[in-house]
Amino acid sequence: MSFFGFDTTLPRDRGHQTAAPGFGQTQDAFAGLSSRPDAFGESDTLDFEETYDGLGDQLDETDDAFNDDTFGEAPATQQSIGKDFDFAGRTAQMSNVLQEEGLLHAVRQPPRRASPPKPVAKPRRTGYESYAESSYIPKLEADASIWGTAPKKPAQEAQPSNQSASAPARKMMSVEEVEAMMRAQASQPQPQTQPVRPPPQQLPPTMQYDFPPSQPTPQQPGFAGPPQILQRPQQQIPDQRQGTTQRHPVQAELPGQGVHQPQILQRQRPEHSQPRHGGTPSQHGIQFQQQQQQAQHRQQQQQQQQPPQQGAPLQPRQILQNPNRLSGHGQPLAPQYRNQDMPRVPPTGPSHHRGPSYQGPVITNPQQILNLSEEDRAAYLAEEAKRAKRNHKIYLLSQGNHLMTPQDKNFITRIQLQQLVTATGGADEAGGESLLAEDFYYQVYAQIRGASRQHPNQPANQFAQTYLFQTGGRFGMSGRRQQRGGDNHMQRMEQQVQRAVEAAKLKPKNKQLVIEGSLGKISFSNSKTPKPLLNIKRSEDSRPPSAGPRVSRAKNGSTIPDRKVALRDLEKIYDTLMVLEDHERRMPRLREDSDAAVVQSHMEWTQQMESLNQRLWTELKVMEPIIPNSTTAHPFIALLSHPKGKKAIPRVFRHLSEQQRVTILTMLVIQLDGLDVISAALPPASAGPHADAIVPSASVRDEVELFAMSVIPPLFTYVSDAPLHIVVGLLGLALDRTNISNLIRTKIGLGILTMFVSRAELIRQAQGAAGSSDWDVWTSHYDRLFDEAESELPFIFPGGSNAASLKEVDDVHVWQFLAAMGVGASPDQQQRLVLGVKERVMETVAVSKALPADLAAKRLGNVNLFMRAIGLDVELLG
Amino acid sequence: MLFYSFFKTQIGNEVEVELKNDIRIKGTLKSIDQYLNVKLDDIQVTNEDKYPHLSAVTSTFIRGSTVRYIHLNASTVDTALLQDATRREHHANMGKAPSGS
Repeated sequence: MSFFGFDTTLPRDRGHQTAAPGFGQTQDAFAGLSSRPDAFGESDTLDFEETYDGLGDQLDETDDAFNDDTFGEAPATQQSIGKDFDFAGRTAQMSNVLQEEGLLHAVRQPPRRASPPKPVAKPRRTGYESYAESSYIPKLEADASIWGTAPKKPAQEAQPSNQSASAPARKMMSVEEVEAMMRAQASQPQPQTQPVRPPPQQLPPTMQYDFPPSQPTPQQPGFAGPPQILQRPQQQIPDQRQGTTQRHPVQAELPGQGVHQPQILQRQRPEHSQPRHGGTPSQHGIQFQQQQQQAQHRQQQQQQQQPPQQGAPLQPRQILQNPNRLSGHGQPLAPQYRNQDMPRVPPTGPSHHRGPSYQGPVITNPQQILNLSEEDRAAYLAEEAKRAKRNHKIYLLSQGNHLMTPQDKNFITRIQLQQLVTATGGADEAGGESLLAEDFYYQVYAQIRGASRQHPNQPANQFAQTYLFQTGGRFGMSGRRQQRGGDNHMQRMEQQVQRAVEAAKLKPKNKQLVIEGSLGKISFSNSKTPKPLLNIKRSEDSRPPSAGPRVSRAKNGSTIPDRKVALRDLEKIYDTLMVLEDHERRMPRLREDSDAAVVQSHMEWTQQMESLNQRLWTELKVMEPIIPNSTTAHPFIALLSHPKGKKAIPRVFRHLSEQQRVTILTMLVIQLDGLDVISAALPPASAGPHADAIVPSASVRDEVELFAMSVIPPLFTYVSDAPLHIVVGLLGLALDRTNISNLIRTKIGLGILTMFVSRAELIRQAQGAAGSSDWDVWTSHYDRLFDEAESELPFIFPGGSNAASLKEVDDVHVWQFLAAMGVGASPDQQQRLVLGVKERVMETVAVSKALPADLAAKRLGNVNLFMRAIGLDVELLG
Repeated sequence: MLFYSFFKTQIGNEVEVELKNDIRIKGTLKSIDQYLNVKLDDIQVTNEDKYPHLSAVTSTFIRGSTVRYIHLNASTVDTALLQDATRREHHANMGKAPSGS
């Protein structure tokens, strides 16, 4: 203190400029007037003062900026460090903040209690831990972080100079004392009026617009006491003397009785009124930043202006700088206990906002809470908790503020939209088709597997829509005032998207640019086609030679060109298949009330379908003439000798007509001998009836498996619906054109024969053996087949007959065949069958006794298939 | 776009990324982009005895250009569909719709 009682500290040395809006006067006017100790011993209040005076602001804030980066945001514990050094921590925090922001605006869900695991600057207290218990009386301890100040640091204790003098004094003023002091100080202008910055955290967006701030709030007559503004009486006095604010008439003569007009309720707008932003909730962050900026700016201005003006014209602003502060429902409450001795404490916290549920007066003093009714207190506490949560969240959200200007954000948004547009390839006009072309595997895979992952499964165009919709929703949330602005913003957004789409379209079509004189090419890249690193120039004449010479070579009988031709043909089939399938998807919906255009398009579609079908049919080469005794296989059979060709069959069958299917089946039956799955799987002719280990090679077995998995099922489906005459014809063809003994020795051949015989049996059971000519033919065919098969019975079982191979051999198809034969056999034939396979049956039964139960049951079940067919059961053999 | 499209279906699966510098990292594929940059979670270096310096890392972002191989679980690949997708890609690159010519 100087000799004259002036504060000789420089403005910059006074604490609490930046972050203690309206409360933390360093130089308390009451300091000298009251030295009474705190009668109530409210350490809570003391706590508040310590925290709230913002001693931390006296530190050089700029040097603290990267403390978090350097030291981490929480005290380093073993747990918090972990083993991954938290490299990603900051990223995670940011994403957390973003997420919260999105949540906040999108849904306005009840505030999330859980704070992110690692807030950037972890406040000492979040401020609402204890609100859960209704009996709790808040400490009204200001959370320093809420005010944007750094958390209280031990270093603050080192600078107690002026705060220590003023802090205890401030809360002990009675009205009379204040008046006396004001009078005393009227002639002693105080240069130390502390500029005040508004506490923007106190302004949740909704509140901000719900209560027009400049509207004077009516008095609550019951509570007419000295208003809180008495905190700064010295500021009012010059005001009134100069008569600049005649609406503040009673301040100086505050008599301590009757109805006072608390000046603060006038709530004049400060000269530097805060601009109203027509922004969206997402802009509140910006707004907040701007407010901060402005506040700081203002503050600087004021600091510059202060010495000459000595507070007089600026007085109103000092108090009223934040006109919204009291704009809640609550009114400043003079203590109902207007006891003169009652100590009064200046407003101690950011407690000025009352939500809608708490209609009571402003609580500025912990004692007031005690005097409230039970419900009021509960409501108050609830409100307080809500407010604290809100403030805390706003604080958390505000951490990333001001990193980007609105222009930056705009720019980023444009880039993102452009990416979306290019990624979807102009989703709007081309729609699903182009999407399917670009992202075929993913889209179809997702459809097939039906995975329901939320984010990545969304097609990109939906994603874009979602994005735009979300922003729309945001605007909807943002209160009435901003509706118009929001619409404008939406329009601008749409225009941006449009422009982005157009720009993407205008991108150079050729992906390279050769600048004259340059040595290289400049290639463009976008998200669809990343820059090609290898650029192989392919001249037209270096193209593979046309198929002509190949075909001729193929006729020479060399196998490699054969294979190539077959593969090439297969590719053509697949191409046609894809076109067909695409075409199928595009089928126009035909309804009875469809208009002519739709009917027309449907007819065109049908025509196209037919031509595609024809193309597929010719490409299958089923109808190529069979050259007897030629060295090369029939083209269709050649196709089937490749795994790819086998896999194509089920797809092909879907698109073929009945006639075409039976043609394929016929062709197949005629050529059965030439099928690789039969010719290659055939055990060596020299092999004796019980030769050991005649197991086809692995590759052949794979082929057989594939054939059984892919080709047989469509054939079987067809045959199982086929009429008798077709079955009879097919069996006759097989008997005439193929070597039945070969068929019987292979799995596929046996399977096909089983197919025919069992179908005929089924038809007979369904229709009864009416003496049609078909049945006569069938019987003769069957007899021929039986005779052929009987001679082959010793060879019919795959593998050897020794016990080892019996255990693992797969002979179910044999038993199926035998069963099919047995059902239709005459008693005499049945006898012969049993004789033929009796040995095997006995062996299998014997072997299965040594097998584990489930395996044994399976083996016996296979045998039983046959046994039951001829009216026996393995149980009888027991 | 075929590979991008393909790898998108692998998101959520465990893959093993073999880098050009011989490090093999196994982890859950979190995301992939059109440059085939890869984000892995819960990673583990397969040849950790050789490259122990990643043992403390749990998630990585790998630039696509440094990847040599990505090992996949075969059961997660629909080969027939992949073949079709390849054909489509081929035709798209040839600048024409698939035609049987």
